[in-house]
Amino acid sequence: MTGEPTYFSEELLKVLQAIAKDGLVSAASGLSSMVGGPLTVDNPCVKLMKVREIPNALGGPENEAVGIYLQAEGDLSGHFMLVFPYEKALEMVDMLMEVPPGSTQQLGSLERSALAEVGNLTASFFMNAVAASTGINSRPTPPAVMVDMIGAILDIIVATTGGISEHVLTFQASFKYAERAVKADFWVIPDPVNLEKYLSQKNV
Amino acid sequence: MSNTLSVGLGELVISKDPDDILVAYGLGSCVGIGMICPKYKIGGLLHAVLPENTDGDKTSTKFVDTGIPVMLEKMKQAGSDLRDIHVYMAGGANMLINSTLSKTFDIGTRNAAAARAMFEKLNIKLQNFEVGGNTGRTVRLYVAQAKMTVRVIGGTERDL
Repeated sequence: MTGEPTYFSEELLKVLQAIAKDGLVSAASGLSSMVGGPLTVDNPCVKLMKVREIPNALGGPENEAVGIYLQAEGDLSGHFMLVFPYEKALEMVDMLMEVPPGSTQQLGSLERSALAEVGNLTASFFMNAVAASTGINSRPTPPAVMVDMIGAILDIIVATTGGISEHVLTFQASFKYAERAVKADFWVIPDPVNLEKYLSQKNV
Repeated sequence: MSNTLSVGLGELVISKDPDDILVAYGLGSCVGIGMICPKYKIGGLLHAVLPENTDGDKTSTKFVDTGIPVMLEKMKQAGSDLRDIHVYMAGGANMLINSTLSKTFDIGTRNAAAARAMFEKLNIKLQNFEVGGNTGRTVRLYVAQAKMTVRVIGGTERDL
């Protein structure tokens, strides 16, 4: 059985919500070891969003943003994209590099690789959480970091989901370190075929 | 007073109002195809997402290969003189440069190639174009001035 009803079922969302929480919490512990202090992920939430609504949710399609994109390979294939508005990405780098807020003014190769690592860790821990609860194994490809207009960055998601669905799963969470917090949006778009396998494993 | 009309993903907008400016914001791998009938001041902008139609719907504007014929038909219905129509194209970037993923994912190039193939098939000459590269673009089509412009991040708007 394929098609949107399966893809968007309430049960599936609930399962993914639980997985996302596990995944993000462990991603936070991974990031903590990167920054050398306790970093937490607050208020992770999962919802379905229409692709065309995403640019406006992030301040408009022409706004400058940073996208960290990677794919999942293995039993569960899919696409992951972590998106920060440009200013938020600079704040995130300040946090990771443990420098005062406002120190980072531009994204050079060092800053980009720090952001790539955030994407890599977040995706890896998410995939580990999936594997822990279902036995479905996958691994992330090396991340690609893009700095461009939000609309252009999201075209990757649009094009990969275009023939399949107009909705994507969105994860939102705040990364917190000491008094600083940076909100991020994180998309995971598993292929529908794999979702079915996933559902059957979970017996939902 | 000018009115800005946003042309979203997979949308086609045709306008006969000279005050209208049609805009497709932040085109990455998507292509923006602009058509202008200078004689009657009719403009259209298509924001196509994928090269080939896969869902069998011949009226879909989400795809380059079905979007272009639909667009031409709508331009004609709006009263355009199809013998003198200016066609522009922008977008089709590869956003994943320097990545191992980029080779497996070059929808931008495929979109632009599909558009060229369709223009050739329909015997349409492109007035101008700016495709490829690895930056997002915003395109604006000015109905009254009969022109299309392109802007990249950190850049200024310029005529195509």
